[in-house]
Amino acid sequence: MNPRRVLRRLMTAIAETPAIGIAIACLLLVASLELAYHNEGQARTDKIRDLTVQARILSASLAGPLAFNDQTAIHEYIDALRASPEFNAVGAYDEHGNLVDGFSRKGEALPRHNLEGSPVVQGDELVMTSPVAQNGAKLGSVYVRAATERWSRRAARYLGIAIVVVMACLLVVVLTAFYASASAANRRLQAEIVGREEAEEALRQAQKMEAMGQLTGGVAHDFNNLLMVASSGMELLDRTTDPVRRERLKDGIRQAIERGAKLTQQLLTFARRSPLSPETVEVGQRIRALQDLFERSLREDVKVEFEFAAGLWPIEVDPSQFDVAILNIAINARDAMPDGGKIKIAAHNYPAGGKTTRDMVRVSIRDSGAGIPPELMEKVFEPFFTTKVVGTGTGLGLSQVYGFVRSSGGEVKIESVAGRGTTVLLLFPRSSQTLPHAPLQTGRMRHAEHDATVLVAEDDEHVAELVSEMLRELGYKSKRGASAAEALRLLEETGPFDLVLSDMIMPGKMNGLELAQEVVRREPGTPVVLMTGYSEAAATAAAEGFPLLVKPYTIEAMGEVLGQALQQH
Amino acid sequence: MAPLMRLASLVFLASLGGGTHAADLPLEYAVKASYLYKFAPFVQWPSTAFDTPTAPLSICIAGSDPFGPALSEAVRGQRVNGHPIVVRRVEAVRPGLTCQILYVGGEDTSAALQAVAHEPILTVTDHNRSGAGGMIQFVMMAGRVRFSIDQAAAQGNGIAISSKLLGLAVSVNR
Repeated sequence: MNPRRVLRRLMTAIAETPAIGIAIACLLLVASLELAYHNEGQARTDKIRDLTVQARILSASLAGPLAFNDQTAIHEYIDALRASPEFNAVGAYDEHGNLVDGFSRKGEALPRHNLEGSPVVQGDELVMTSPVAQNGAKLGSVYVRAATERWSRRAARYLGIAIVVVMACLLVVVLTAFYASASAANRRLQAEIVGREEAEEALRQAQKMEAMGQLTGGVAHDFNNLLMVASSGMELLDRTTDPVRRERLKDGIRQAIERGAKLTQQLLTFARRSPLSPETVEVGQRIRALQDLFERSLREDVKVEFEFAAGLWPIEVDPSQFDVAILNIAINARDAMPDGGKIKIAAHNYPAGGKTTRDMVRVSIRDSGAGIPPELMEKVFEPFFTTKVVGTGTGLGLSQVYGFVRSSGGEVKIESVAGRGTTVLLLFPRSSQTLPHAPLQTGRMRHAEHDATVLVAEDDEHVAELVSEMLRELGYKSKRGASAAEALRLLEETGPFDLVLSDMIMPGKMNGLELAQEVVRREPGTPVVLMTGYSEAAATAAAEGFPLLVKPYTIEAMGEVLGQALQQH
Repeated sequence: MAPLMRLASLVFLASLGGGTHAADLPLEYAVKASYLYKFAPFVQWPSTAFDTPTAPLSICIAGSDPFGPALSEAVRGQRVNGHPIVVRRVEAVRPGLTCQILYVGGEDTSAALQAVAHEPILTVTDHNRSGAGGMIQFVMMAGRVRFSIDQAAAQGNGIAISSKLLGLAVSVNR
């Protein structure tokens, strides 16, 4: 096990138990008890020392009077101590230990005979004796009994501090317990958030896949048609020599291929696994671009009409989620019209005032279908609620719409009249961002006047041949390596090249992206352009900052991307 | 211990009977006897007064002896600064007498005091109007035994007397 992870776990475990707090509190208690005990002992020692000094002074003073029996002096010395309330009893004794003079304020009377010994505590009193001597000759002794502070008074003195200490300990315990439970709860919450995000992501993906499923049937059918056009066109090309007819056939083939390319591009974009990434879009353009998808996912007897107001405000949404939402509503509309009908998709600006406080863009999708019974209206947005036959719907369509619109800051409403049709209203807040500029179309691709040499790394023989052909058409010279390793070898042996064009997915140890990075490392001045048919690979390339050609691409697109790459270097 | 106890009780009685008549001679001298050796701790002799640190401290009695054996009994076992106290009777006082305390009894004290005038000896006498007095003189005041001190004479012979003792004297000649 990684020691760092063990340490982190230990820290978490410690943070999530109040043990440390309790330990600190206990330590605090023990320390203050110890301190109190120490203070008590110190106070007692001080008291004994104090009294010893007093007793010694008294015995030194009494030496003469005791020796020469001066009653007046003895009485004066002893009486002087009577003034202090500290002394409960003081006695002077002659050399034989017999009481000469003294007083006893309270408690027991003075002993008749003094027994000398070490200081002793008797209840609340401290008893002490001291010999009276002069130059080694014993002349008598004194007896002193002084009051010590009563236990109850000492306790009262400590009570205030004790309360503060106990409160502090309790506070420490409560705080650490609170902290422990809070950090445990926080950890659980974090775990839950991660779990939920994963679940939501999975749900979104499932949504897309469902819509994909709806699409696939239509797409496959379409593709067959396109392939039919292309293959029969090729056959016919071989059989005819009439230039006009050949031109028409070529046109047909090109169109079929373009449509096919557009279709797969849309599917790839659609299926791409991507987190929510809002972009500024214009609703009308975005929905019009879905035309092909509508044609393929709806039946022929369902007609789609658009009605977009001029000057629609931009909105900020995740484009692919937006597409899925519109498509989900359209599919629901289709299913509500088993005998065919019309779907009208409209959009217009909805300025602030009245029901909304913000500028909104209102998108409505109206069908002429059966409508939704009033008793089901409340349920339509619930996940997994479906009225469709088992196996044809997941019940997630409208819940995706709801989730998407809410997370985009908008609102969704359904109006339905039984037998007359349903209208789904989507309201999106107006975005303050301006629309990104559409990429400039260069129009006709001019033949390049340069004679740059391009190193092509492509494993597929046919694609490589075509790419070389296209490069030649654009006025470039080219050399091909069938793998990353071969391309690097060519770079070393026959370089330098003006540009490297590499496929992203290639056999061998090194893929196109790694090749690109290696080329940049070796020859920082050489531009690298990547090409791929996979959308995920495309995202990686974009993240690394390499220009990209998405297969299939046209000769114009190639010319533009390569031209830009060469210009920038 | 029995004689000691008896002496102590006599001292005690003497103090109690302070207000009455002081004609009781034996009691008066019992008190004087106890004072005689109790002076010792309050007095500092020059170092030449003792041969060794444990040499006895001698109380010499000259002239008439009013104490008898009671004094010897009372000082038995008593020590001052490591010196055991002994009582000696001296027939004739001559210069060079090796005593630390000299009590001269009776009225005729001058000759004896003159003999030890330059010795480091603490001289003690009863108060008398005719003869010369010692460094310490016993006086009777209100029926009680007190004493006066001639500090100047003591200092002249190198004898230091504690202020504690001076404080108890009825008069001090400084």
